Amino acid sequence: MTAFKAVNWNTPENDYSALFWEQNLRQFWVDTEYIPSKDIDSWKGLSPEIQQAYKRALGGLTLLDTLQSHTGMPKILDHIDSLQNKAVLSFMCMMEAIHAKSYSTIFTTVTTTQEINELFDWVHANKYLQFKAATIDRYYRALDKKQVNDEELFLALGASVLLESFLFYSGFFMPLWLCGQGEMVASADIIKKIIADESIHGVFVGLLAQDVYKTLPHPQRAKDKLTALLQELYENELKYTEEVYTDIGLTAEVKEYVRYNANKALMNLGFEELFEVKEVNPIVLNGLNLETTQHDFFSKKSTNYEKSMEVAHLKDEDFIFDLDKDLLV
Amino acid sequence: MITKKWILLNNEIMIKKDDEFNLEKDKEAVRSYFLDYVNKNTVFFYTLKEKIDYLIENNYYINFYEQYSFEELQRVYDFVYSKKFRFQSFMSAFKFFQNYALRDDSGEKFLERYEDRVVAISLFLAQGNVEQALKYAEILINQEYQPATPTFLNAGKKRSGQLVSCFLDEIGDNINGIGYAIDSAMKLSSIGGGVSFNLSKIRARGEAIKGVEGRSSGVLPVMKILEDTFSYANQLGQRPGAGAVYLNVFHTDIEEFLDCKKINIDEKVRIKSLSIGVVIPDKFMDIAAADEICYLFYPHTVFQQYGIPLDEMDMDQMYDQLVGNPKVRKKKVNARHLMVKIAQTQKESGYPYLFFKGNANKEHALQNLGDVKFSNLCTEIMQLSHVSDIAIYGQQDTIRYGISCNLGSLNIATVMENNRVKEAVETAMRALTVVSDLTSIDMVPSVQKANKELHSVGLGAMNLHGYLAKNHIMYESKEALDFCNVFFMMVNFYSLKSSMDIAREKGQHFEGFQQSGYADGTYFEKYLRTDFHPQSDKVKLLFKDMVLPGKAAWEELAEQVKEHGLYHAYRMAIAPNQSTAYIMNATASVMPVVDTIEVREYGDSTTYYPMPYLDNDNYFFYKSAYDMDQKNVLRLVSVIQRHVDQGISTILHTNTKDNTRDLARYYIYAHKAGLKSLYYTRTRKASIEECVSCSV
Repeated sequence: MTAFKAVNWNTPENDYSALFWEQNLRQFWVDTEYIPSKDIDSWKGLSPEIQQAYKRALGGLTLLDTLQSHTGMPKILDHIDSLQNKAVLSFMCMMEAIHAKSYSTIFTTVTTTQEINELFDWVHANKYLQFKAATIDRYYRALDKKQVNDEELFLALGASVLLESFLFYSGFFMPLWLCGQGEMVASADIIKKIIADESIHGVFVGLLAQDVYKTLPHPQRAKDKLTALLQELYENELKYTEEVYTDIGLTAEVKEYVRYNANKALMNLGFEELFEVKEVNPIVLNGLNLETTQHDFFSKKSTNYEKSMEVAHLKDEDFIFDLDKDLLV
Repeated sequence: MITKKWILLNNEIMIKKDDEFNLEKDKEAVRSYFLDYVNKNTVFFYTLKEKIDYLIENNYYINFYEQYSFEELQRVYDFVYSKKFRFQSFMSAFKFFQNYALRDDSGEKFLERYEDRVVAISLFLAQGNVEQALKYAEILINQEYQPATPTFLNAGKKRSGQLVSCFLDEIGDNINGIGYAIDSAMKLSSIGGGVSFNLSKIRARGEAIKGVEGRSSGVLPVMKILEDTFSYANQLGQRPGAGAVYLNVFHTDIEEFLDCKKINIDEKVRIKSLSIGVVIPDKFMDIAAADEICYLFYPHTVFQQYGIPLDEMDMDQMYDQLVGNPKVRKKKVNARHLMVKIAQTQKESGYPYLFFKGNANKEHALQNLGDVKFSNLCTEIMQLSHVSDIAIYGQQDTIRYGISCNLGSLNIATVMENNRVKEAVETAMRALTVVSDLTSIDMVPSVQKANKELHSVGLGAMNLHGYLAKNHIMYESKEALDFCNVFFMMVNFYSLKSSMDIAREKGQHFEGFQQSGYADGTYFEKYLRTDFHPQSDKVKLLFKDMVLPGKAAWEELAEQVKEHGLYHAYRMAIAPNQSTAYIMNATASVMPVVDTIEVREYGDSTTYYPMPYLDNDNYFFYKSAYDMDQKNVLRLVSVIQRHVDQGISTILHTNTKDNTRDLARYYIYAHKAGLKSLYYTRTRKASIEECVSCSV
């Protein structure tokens, strides 16, 4: 009988798991701390076409986050050896569930139950969206057994990175684009929190994938398979983009953005860029910048604050300052 | 929906070419904003007469003809338009047209340009005196002085909110008192004010009601009601309602109060949009320094024993007595841990504000009339207050002092460069006085009483960092201290002088003047001891064309004040002024900039704002506040504070790596340096790339 092992954080298992654990914790948030009700007026001022695209973009994101939290993370986690990495993945898994719910927090606030039901019907029936989910799911399901080979694991990790760093962004385009122009800003706070999470998820799973890649007996074969997967998803993504964005004339810009993020996903996996990208919409590109912004406390909640991880206590010497010297003019 | 060209251009500033930001894109954005949007959406009038008549007849403007002839109006318009005003950055223009310019009732067309707003404000403030109107017009179009948002937004409009921005009041410890506060909150918020309340007198959770122990639910439920009240009552949708509450650190609900900002706390006690502040008496800092056991007190038991509310006691004298009195219920805590908890809450939410009660009262010129017990939404208002007794229907209330304050800011760069410190202060003081005189908040009698009897105003300043950088002075340098020490002495001098002039003209001083430190001369002592003149050559040069008030001038002023009194109980307060600083193309308040190009998020926009005067030569002088030792910032504020009778909104800028101890050390330093308050703590996040790249 093999002994069950307890996770021992006292002994680092690698250079990065503790770091990602902390960063994840620091970024922790829940949907209800944000105030999407401030967007109700903004929502009512949007044209029906924009509203439609917004709902669909977020509906699509809900599906992907659901897949990620219900299947992706749990399956991968089963085949990762490092207990600390498992812990990080399970935290991320929990966040994915919060993400999937938080889109609903936005819908529930700004739209009616009937509209929401129609939207979910659309999600369930849309063939491009279902294709995305089914394709990624196949790679996750391949891990649904006791022993998997490294190539299967690598491909599942790779699929996860493609999902997190690439497939999400056709959906993120819409809220970022609106927010940069002063619409749906409070809801965008939630979206920016999700983007901040997805970006560390992509990097972390990407690192795990690179670790596995190094041990593969036939790396080129695995890389070819992953590239083929990317191509397949890319073709589908273009069609999905057309379906969501053509009515509002943004298809070309979203496609450019899709390519930009496909390259980012490849970089997270340690591969070369594949797509030529000319000019990404600067509003959306700036929206991706998750560094600290100056916000107005009275009109919006900030996305800048994080859990305080290190609680250090005061000592006697902290109360001593040589003020006379400092204040001499 | 088509992406607006000017927003695109403004965003393109951030796309680096050859490692430099595209600063010229900002100018293109302004141009496009005017050509493609503002001009197309501005109602065009053939003549000035047609414009004025239209605005008056359609209920947009008050009837200026009742106070001015058309020729007089034309003089003011001509003067202002002759100055050829141009917006210096996209942010300035955007902010003005987005939030301040008058629009038609459909909300689609502009009826005003910047010049027109300036004229309307000037005409309104001058109340029919065209020469005075020209004076107001001059400081406004020169961008030497900027009234706070309510005045800037509303003056001269027929249908508008109030001109005053800021209200404060106490809450009495009974249902009538709490009801009065909620009622006031709703009314004051609906007319556009930020409102702040002192919760410290309200009995704590678990205290007795009508003698039955354990029935009170403490301050949190009151906060929850106030929060909802503010979010409901906004100013015609023009500004979201905003409010703050303060609690004394010795109140036993303090820990719960700090926890209300936690994100995973129960919805009933979670506070999302209400601002919170902690009142810290010196005694608390002493206990923390000595690391002694700290007792918190149940305020109702204190009141029952002594007949004085806990937060009105001088804790230096009363603390030991309270600890020793077995009938006063108390709770034991560790003061240092409580400070760390405050720091932790700040790291996670930016709150609470800190109000150092001892410092606020040390040089308080009205100390014989009452204590300063708490502050406002932006922590710069520091005035005495007394809780009113609200009776039941049909019986007489006893109304005492709430607080009302209207604010405005000098633009340090323009007043220095135009050599008009004296004129600008004087005209600004008159503008603020008119607003106070014309304001009558009769729906909230405690606030009305304060305004009527004390005439308080708050003159502040902005663009300090911009001015220093333009003159190649580092914000953290000794020269900066030197400059502030002289500049704010001057502002103080001239504001006292105009307050005295106004009192002399009106034959009226604020209620209680005779008991103040202004009347007995104690306030002036420090100015009679030394000359506050520049020390360094660099700063001497900045003031070289100005007459600086010295000991003799101060002595003369003290005499005049003694004879004629002062019209205003409070004169100066340095507000954070955010939106209005953008319009002035200035750096906000006396705070350092956060970045060379600031990313500014509002509820309705995200804008990129290159710092004023920024170019390749002075880049270096725009050091980010996040990269500064905060002690240097506090030190500068402490020098300014010497010359400001009220307070200064002071923001701490910290980084992810700063821990709770680092923050708490700033509180200790700020307290020792004589600061009266600390406003938000902002935190710069470490970027994910930063953490990953340094370890993987």
